[in-house]
Amino acid sequence: MSEAARLDALALAGDLPGVLLDAKRLAAMAPGVHGRRRSGQGEAFWQYRDHRPEDGARLVDWRRSARGDRYYVREREREAAQTAWLWLDANPGFDWTSDARRPTKLRRARTLALALAILLARGGERVGVLGGQSRSGARAVDRLAGDLLAAPSDAAPTAQSCVLFFSDFYAPLESWRARLARCAEVGATGALVMTADPAEDDFPYQGRTLFEAPGVRGGVLIGRAEAARTEYARRLLAHRNAIRALGAEHRFPALLHRTDHSAAPTLSMLIALVTERGP
Amino acid sequence: MTLGPILFAAPGALWALLALPALYWLMRATPPAPRREAFPPARLLEGVRTDDQTRERAPLWLVLFRALAAALLILAFARPSLAPNAAQDGQGGRTLIVIDDGWTSAPFWSDVRSTALAEINRAERTGAPVSLLLTAPSLRPRDPGEALTAADAKAVLARLEPQPWRPNRAQARDRLGQTSDQFSRILWLTDGLNDEGASAFAEALAARGPVSARAPPRTARAIVAGAVTSEGVVVELRRASSGANGGAIAAETAEGRSLGAAEFSFDGAATTATATVSLPPEIAARAARVRIVGEESAGAVRLLPAGASRPFVGLIDPGGASQPLLSDLFYADRALQPYASLQRGAVSALLDARVQAMILPDAGRIAPTDRAALTRWIENGGLLIRFAGPRLANDSDDLLPVRLRPGARSLGGALAWETPLSIAPFPVDSPFAGIAPPQDVTVRRQVLAEPASLEEARVWASLADNSPLVTARARGRGLIVLYHVGGGPDWSDLPLSGAFVEMLRRSLAFAARGEGAGDREIVGGPYIADRLLDGFGALAPAPPEMAPIAPETFALALPSPQTPPGLYERAGVSAAIDAGRAEDALAPLVLPNAIARGALGDATERPMAGWLFGASGLMLALDLLVALALFGRLPRLARAGAGVLLGLALMSPRDAYAQSAQDPTQIVRLAYVRTGDARVDRTSAAGLEALRQILIERTSVEPGPSVGVDLGRDDLSVYPFVYWPAAGAPQRLSDAALANVDRYLAIGGLLLVDTRNAGQTGNRPAATMLSGVDVPPLEPVTADHVTARAFYLLRSFPGRTQATQLWAESASAAESRDGVASIFIGDGDWAAAWAGELEGGARQRELALRFGVNMVMVALTGNYKADQVHVPALLERLGRERQ
Repeated sequence: MSEAARLDALALAGDLPGVLLDAKRLAAMAPGVHGRRRSGQGEAFWQYRDHRPEDGARLVDWRRSARGDRYYVREREREAAQTAWLWLDANPGFDWTSDARRPTKLRRARTLALALAILLARGGERVGVLGGQSRSGARAVDRLAGDLLAAPSDAAPTAQSCVLFFSDFYAPLESWRARLARCAEVGATGALVMTADPAEDDFPYQGRTLFEAPGVRGGVLIGRAEAARTEYARRLLAHRNAIRALGAEHRFPALLHRTDHSAAPTLSMLIALVTERGP
Repeated sequence: MTLGPILFAAPGALWALLALPALYWLMRATPPAPRREAFPPARLLEGVRTDDQTRERAPLWLVLFRALAAALLILAFARPSLAPNAAQDGQGGRTLIVIDDGWTSAPFWSDVRSTALAEINRAERTGAPVSLLLTAPSLRPRDPGEALTAADAKAVLARLEPQPWRPNRAQARDRLGQTSDQFSRILWLTDGLNDEGASAFAEALAARGPVSARAPPRTARAIVAGAVTSEGVVVELRRASSGANGGAIAAETAEGRSLGAAEFSFDGAATTATATVSLPPEIAARAARVRIVGEESAGAVRLLPAGASRPFVGLIDPGGASQPLLSDLFYADRALQPYASLQRGAVSALLDARVQAMILPDAGRIAPTDRAALTRWIENGGLLIRFAGPRLANDSDDLLPVRLRPGARSLGGALAWETPLSIAPFPVDSPFAGIAPPQDVTVRRQVLAEPASLEEARVWASLADNSPLVTARARGRGLIVLYHVGGGPDWSDLPLSGAFVEMLRRSLAFAARGEGAGDREIVGGPYIADRLLDGFGALAPAPPEMAPIAPETFALALPSPQTPPGLYERAGVSAAIDAGRAEDALAPLVLPNAIARGALGDATERPMAGWLFGASGLMLALDLLVALALFGRLPRLARAGAGVLLGLALMSPRDAYAQSAQDPTQIVRLAYVRTGDARVDRTSAAGLEALRQILIERTSVEPGPSVGVDLGRDDLSVYPFVYWPAAGAPQRLSDAALANVDRYLAIGGLLLVDTRNAGQTGNRPAATMLSGVDVPPLEPVTADHVTARAFYLLRSFPGRTQATQLWAESASAAESRDGVASIFIGDGDWAAAWAGELEGGARQRELALRFGVNMVMVALTGNYKADQVHVPALLERLGRERQ
């Protein structure tokens, strides 16, 4: 790790407790996830049901059955732990906000990712940063927070796992097609969280303006920014639709999240997406 | 080059105006730089074209605005000036400029100067030589025949200042007569006032060439008399009929502070007016001059010499004196108030304030650190006036004119043979000579000088029995004066008499001056210039080469180069020569018809370059703001500015006071001095706590918890009783602690110093503890002392041991506090006894506690129980009467 990268990571780590706190607060507000909500292999009690002949005598719950005339079977909740992989964009343009009072897109993405990780870990799932290690249990989130500082990797996810991409998706469509294709190859599905700054939606610029993407040399000079607004909105919509179509093609539904909106609805949708994901 | 009424000094710069169209084209061609914005989806904007390209050019109005700014800048470089009649007087030939350079021209001197300058500039353009004739007398008069180049003439004019006397045109005519030249132009810048030689001078001028005179619209006014009366400052003003009607006068101190003002007006055509600045006498006495407000000339100032030489006197304040009528300084202060500027303070502060004289009362102490500085100040010409008193009687130092015999001589006391003495007539060679010795003044106590030391000192005053009352002795270039009585009324009636005021005043005539005070003559000698007026009426130190003026000449002196107006001094008495004289008549100048008249300031050239530079600079600054606004940076800038302003507003200091939760003034508290020795401090605290319980049980005194104090830091004044035990190894006090202890004793606190070494011999901790403290004379405390009567009747004061010693400030030393001692020094280790650590039994502890109760009672009630001392005698007498 170069010295500059190490310093960056340290600075980020300084910010992590705040992000973690935000995430915990957010997770506390979210509706709880509770297991798989279906019977299966697991530890937690799910329901009693009537004994059926094919169950055999071993499955009878004698303690419950003794209280009545019928035989009962104790069913447990299914806990087939699945793995959720998180991927956060490291592009300097992602760590940007149009207004210093609002969080950057990256910070909001981290908050969402960690809140999601907290809830998933509580539900017994395994979470990890794509290319890293997946963990489960109460300490998983704290470890994960540390892993978030590392640069994202394009390693292939484990088979049948769930991958969540947090990005602004402004990179060329082809790079995303390649990335999603790699995931689809191993049968992974997941979601694309399109995190956007309000200024990127509304384009509130006026006059002669030189637009420079952070981390990219050179810029685009617009003679009258207000005149370019409709054209920009059209292109943005087209690009997003292309991303959505690409996601749908690879079973990665896309969600749009704006940093000036509350994170809670997006989090609920993500949880629903992950937990209700078909096997 | 002239262009209508405008004259260009550097017309070459105008060529640059040709570049303006190029500037116009350049500015229209280059658009303003774009605003830069970080924008992650910038890639999406690639290839977007907005067809509205015209907006990329600078707007037309901005381009025109900038072109105008540039044009103004170019015009400014061409150094234009407005000279309405520059074109008409283009002819050459010799020019004579006549200037009335008396104080009568001072109020409009800038007009005189600029008119003369315009004339010199005109001569410069035609290449004509210039001659100058100044009508006011001067020690080195200028030859009017001397032809100057324009540059030389400008240099002379730049240095030319009005003289503090009036022009003498008869003399000027004589000087004109020295040359026989003819002039093609003569410009007379006159003050508009007539004098004896004016008409002859005008004719002489007219004979030399065409004369044009320039007179001011309003001629000068003068204050011709001024006096300090009981109503205030009364002045008489005079004007010519061409002078302004009304105005205001202001009275000022020597330092220039305004004391008061009054309005005046000349009724109708009157040429004389009077005005009074109403001031209470003590303030009017401080008036050093009075002047016409807004008219700067020597004639508009009247010096009031009585108040002009107010010495700056420092009163060394002993601090803490709570009884002003008994304080020595009170009488000196009241006596000198009308004649001197007074300042109270410590020696070092007064030295810093550069006082000319200091008055040191008996109670005042010279800190060891100040002694060297004070001695140096005296030797450099300072005047130290001292008063005797109990302290000086017991402990004299070397800053005295004579050696003192220890102790004071008491006249007319109960046990004295001698009756109070009166003051003998003052000797002829004394500065007090001429003051009538007050008959009703008697002296009851005095300090006596060693007879041998009297030979070196001078006796300024003595008592009827020839013992000295006031002695003085030069020290270096300075002088030390000792009044052998106190500055207050307890030793003599002198401070209550009028003679005291006069004596102090004459003593102050020796206050510090450059030449030293020691050998000054009391009478005689010439008048020596101190501070002189310039033409504008400001006082400046006299040049050293000024010759002294003999007294007989001085009385008749008119303002002239030999006797310039200003303040003069003779043996400590100051007098003035004034610029405006009562016999001066101010009348408008009458000119022969041959002389063309004009108003002063008419034909002046007004340079415009400065205005043009200013205007173009302002426009460029405005352009910067406009450019920022076009960039959209302005709101951010305005926010930052507002932030800075807000920050500055928040930074403005605000006082914060917090009342300490434990306010020591709410309740009586006993205090002990923390010595730093933990064992001793514990004992002190325990002892005082025991004493406190006893006080609460047996008396109506209910003190709060005792307090340990740090002598160096804490304010002792809130504790009536401070117990100060010696530490195991006593240490000298710091300077701050010394000052603190001295202040505590001076304001009447009670300090019990416990050396804790009863029965031991050899070491003397008190000497170390109190070294540097101003310890008053002590006497042993006996069964007759108020301490033995204050609550319990005690015969001895046992502490840890049975036999103890106890000394207290002697009643005579404590006279100013009604005999209540402020310091007790003993060796009983009382705190240990109160706390129960003692050699004897319960009875001894009880007696020690009783002593403690008595000490607290003395601290709180003073000598309230002193008359108990007389109870046996009273009872005896009562018994006798009954028989």
